[in-house]
Amino acid sequence: MLKEYNYFGPAPDPEVSDRETRKKPTKRAEFLRDLYFEAKSSTSMEFPYWYTRTWEELDGEIPIIRRAEALKSGFEHLTPVIYPKELIVGGKAIYLRGSFPMPWLSEAFYLASEDKLYKEALESGKLTADTVTTMGQGGGNVTKSAGSVISIAGKFGLRKEELPVLIEISKKWKDKSVDDIGHKYEQMVPDYKDKEEIMRSVICMFDSGYTLPQGREVINYYYPLQWGIDGLIYICEQEINKVAGNPDMDRLYFYRSVILVLTGIKNWILNYSKEAKFLATVEKDEKQKKEYEEIARRLINISSRPPENFHEALQMIWLFHIAVLNEDAISGLSPGRLGQILYPYWKEDIDNKTITKSETLELLECLRVKFTEIDCFASTGVVGGVLSGNTFNNLCLGGLKKDGISAVNELEMLILEAGITCGTPQPTLSILYDEKLDEEFLLKGIECTKTGTGYPAWVNNNVAMEFLLNNYGSEGMQPEEARAWSIGGCLETSPGSWMPLTYKNKLYYIPGGSAPATSVGVHFLSLPKILETVLFNGLDMRTNERVFPSHNLKLENYNELWNTFKDYFTRAVDVLARTNNIQHDAWRKISHSIVNSLLKPDCLEKGRDIGQMGSRYNRTFNVESCGTANLINSLSSLKKNVYEEKNFTIDEFRDAVLNNFGYRTALETGSYSLIDQIPSEKFDKYKRIHKYCLEAPKYGNDDTFVDSILKEWEDWFCGMCSNFKSLYDMPLYACQISVSTHGPMGAVTLATPDGRLCGTTFADASMSAYPGTDKNGPYALFTSATCWNHSLSQNSQMNVKIHPSAVKGREGSRKFLELIRAYLRKGGFHLQFNIVDSRMLKQAQKEPEKYRGLMVRVAGFTQYWVELGKQIQDEVIARTEYEEV
Amino acid sequence: MEIDKSTGGYIFDIQGFSVHDGPGCRTLIFLKGCSLRCSWCSNPEGINFFPEPLYNAEKCIYDKLCVSACKKNAIYTDEVGIRFRKEICRDCSTFECVKECCTGAIRKCGYYISAEQLLDKIKRDRQYWGGNGGITLTGGEPLCQPEFAETVLRNCFETLIHTGIETCGNVKWASIESLLDFIEWIFYDIKHLDSDKHKEATSSGNELIIENAVRLAEKFKGRMIFRMPIVSGFNDDIEHIKNMCEFIKETGRREINILPLHRLGREKYKLVGLKFKDEFKIPGKEELLNIKNIFESSGIKCFIGSDTPF
Repeated sequence: MLKEYNYFGPAPDPEVSDRETRKKPTKRAEFLRDLYFEAKSSTSMEFPYWYTRTWEELDGEIPIIRRAEALKSGFEHLTPVIYPKELIVGGKAIYLRGSFPMPWLSEAFYLASEDKLYKEALESGKLTADTVTTMGQGGGNVTKSAGSVISIAGKFGLRKEELPVLIEISKKWKDKSVDDIGHKYEQMVPDYKDKEEIMRSVICMFDSGYTLPQGREVINYYYPLQWGIDGLIYICEQEINKVAGNPDMDRLYFYRSVILVLTGIKNWILNYSKEAKFLATVEKDEKQKKEYEEIARRLINISSRPPENFHEALQMIWLFHIAVLNEDAISGLSPGRLGQILYPYWKEDIDNKTITKSETLELLECLRVKFTEIDCFASTGVVGGVLSGNTFNNLCLGGLKKDGISAVNELEMLILEAGITCGTPQPTLSILYDEKLDEEFLLKGIECTKTGTGYPAWVNNNVAMEFLLNNYGSEGMQPEEARAWSIGGCLETSPGSWMPLTYKNKLYYIPGGSAPATSVGVHFLSLPKILETVLFNGLDMRTNERVFPSHNLKLENYNELWNTFKDYFTRAVDVLARTNNIQHDAWRKISHSIVNSLLKPDCLEKGRDIGQMGSRYNRTFNVESCGTANLINSLSSLKKNVYEEKNFTIDEFRDAVLNNFGYRTALETGSYSLIDQIPSEKFDKYKRIHKYCLEAPKYGNDDTFVDSILKEWEDWFCGMCSNFKSLYDMPLYACQISVSTHGPMGAVTLATPDGRLCGTTFADASMSAYPGTDKNGPYALFTSATCWNHSLSQNSQMNVKIHPSAVKGREGSRKFLELIRAYLRKGGFHLQFNIVDSRMLKQAQKEPEKYRGLMVRVAGFTQYWVELGKQIQDEVIARTEYEEV
Repeated sequence: MEIDKSTGGYIFDIQGFSVHDGPGCRTLIFLKGCSLRCSWCSNPEGINFFPEPLYNAEKCIYDKLCVSACKKNAIYTDEVGIRFRKEICRDCSTFECVKECCTGAIRKCGYYISAEQLLDKIKRDRQYWGGNGGITLTGGEPLCQPEFAETVLRNCFETLIHTGIETCGNVKWASIESLLDFIEWIFYDIKHLDSDKHKEATSSGNELIIENAVRLAEKFKGRMIFRMPIVSGFNDDIEHIKNMCEFIKETGRREINILPLHRLGREKYKLVGLKFKDEFKIPGKEELLNIKNIFESSGIKCFIGSDTPF
């Protein structure tokens, strides 16, 4: 245990165990990270102003061209900012943690406080998620307006003088945005009213079509790396010659729009180079002056040609990453297997001694800070409730090469090292675990896990490949190509392809994403809330509104209950899949993806953007669930207590739920964790029924009674998704990550049959046990979790909190790896850890200012503790901690 | 081997992913009941041989449902709260108090498990240990239930599961001897070499323990590591450590794992209804290193706490 001050904050008292591994970043990275800590989330109107202005000027133009010109104008007018000591430059907007609103996706939100539209939006159920989400109150969040800065969505600061611009521009998009157009047509779905009720009850968290239409996918950097910007423009010009005037003319407009957007990006890069040159002329410090000059030179090179060394390649992929992020509201755009993509460049440099390992490490640290600067501008419900402010840029390591052997390389070791020395939430790291991976690499991964930053996550290569082949086989995926997969976003298994990169006359096959956004479709269904409506004949008891048609059943046996649940769940998926298809259709017609499309194979080959199935793989729509453990435990409790042992009747149970088992509600207590709840004067009446509920068999204890319920649920859920079709006429599949939705979704749900109280947070993820209910250790938990085949689903998620003492020392590292391996060998898909003493977290809740750098793993991502909402903080503290003393 | 269906025993916990009590990742089985009464015991709930109620006053709402539920009148209240007459509880098999308590303030500690059921759990866990793992019987004192321990260890041994025990040695030699062929690893605790001092702190002299240690060291073919709690002001004086060195050398073994006293079991004393005697000091890091040096200079490998090479 360290007593002196460290970056994560001090250990609160001598008995609290600090994390063991501790290293420091280079001076440069530390300086840049400190700049980040000082910066607030800030938004500006530059890009949206020019985008909208150009869009309006081109009224009547072919939509994709109009869109391309608007994007080009936006890029060309972004003010370049370069910070001292930066080695990799460029950002989304003028501020360090900059972002900007995209009213062409949805404008109602920005008009909310200014305009009566807010009320209308509220009534249609769209903003309900916002009203139940609490944002973290610390860190870089601008939670309150102050001085000349206005707080938007409880997170972003906007300069006061830009507010009229925001309002003015938002008004121009009224009835024209993806949200408004989509909403107009989704109402034509016959049972649309059901959808509204479902959204209002927060059974579903949000619409994906206009909130975050892209993301949760893996970017592909191949095309610019291979051809350079000028090369790509040339390719498009050649293609235009072939297609102009011939049938299937959409290709003409697509290639033209790619040229426009690339020109915009080129000019944007050149603007940065001019800024660097200017800074060099005014800089007094010789070293810094030289660095500015080198930055300028690199930028000029990559503004037209492919990169010629590792540093240029790094700068180029960074700018293209930002370029994609600036075309849409995106979270979870993942760099993928970056260490394998950049290896050819790095190997050449290191062999020629033009770079050293320590220089590489410094660059990789700088890249970490850059990725952490990315902000995603969206509503409170989306940013706080779903993302916890996270942007999910998942960088994957390991896995297999095209030829089926271990893909680990030395650069990946350095990426892990940079993750250790320079702890930042982004990019989060995942290890694609395969039995073929080198032990040395895996133990490096353990060293990184032990820093307590929460990454890397450990994911199962074989399970993912089986899932991909099952679902993308019909689009032609072969086992060789399945190996190119990576995690897109939080934990979404995403298809990839091997791209033939020629560099210095050598051919390399580099992996990259080859499908559009996953996690679009039905976004987060609250399983416990659906069960609540089953118990109350289709009503949402929080609002007393009808959500589903009354079933009028007495629920006399377990099968009746279970079948009714399946019926309601199916109804929800059915209507949400159709309304979301309409929204995504509006999106692809109004807000075409051009930057992302030009990067994705095979859009350039086919002459189609990803909205026209230009990608190699297109079956990416899914159905996401939340609250799995609470649903399973609830079904277990009802089965045992009501139907088998008849400890209470379903009516008695309903009464108990309505009275929150005699406890005060979480809203009254201000804590969202079950352990902190306080009984009321009615407790006496309900204490026995509550006891029965708490004592019913719980998931995570290797108890067949409840595990068989889980298996039945998983087999059914994973199968039923394929009965519904995406916009692209392809079946959906199951996705089981909760991200942060288990906080706000728990907040609107009454007490549940598992004994959970009203308003408290659900279990996180899908395979994590409900906090405190896994009483038989990790092996029993693993056995329960692997009672079903995880490759049926896009993912499954298991978060475990481990006390630092349990994995201490050299032996601790080896044993820790055994633990992880054991779960993955049993077919578990994902495992990740919070290595932290709960007492430190509680201390950090009290004194956030001392713990600015403390990071925790939430559910598929790492985030600064102080930037998390209280609901999620309470849940993390309550998770069972495996402690070895 | 056929398992005798009648064989079974009382345990109070099974802990997977234990990493400090033998090689690899292990499953620890805590057998209930102990033949010593060490005043620093960190598992006080494992001292009694019978399943017993644990009582958490913080969760209690004093509705006294437990008092009226207990037909044997084992529960009464006084100014402190709910109290148990454990001498009555020892014969209880129904635990009405636990059934009636709605807040989780009373829970049952310890249960009977047949050797067969326990082996099923071990078979489950062995899939997760990895290469070097296995089981370690601990407690309480595992050898106080010799038939049960033998059945479990023998079965594990025969199915190639690595077997270990942690014992205080205060049992009949016969109980140890019958197991020797099925054990690969022993942690053998010695608290003090002076019998009077030993008796003061553990309510038992050390003659049997010393005698067993010497015999075991001679007969046992596996790895035997001495363990010694370092209790400041009790057994940490240099002279005693030097005597320990001599004693260990005489046994022919060459390893000791010293465990600094800790107070992490303190909260559990309240649950059992015992008073935690806060009479000893926790040794400092310097002192532990000093003790380690003394052992090592006598040619005895000394590991501090969880800092072990296994």
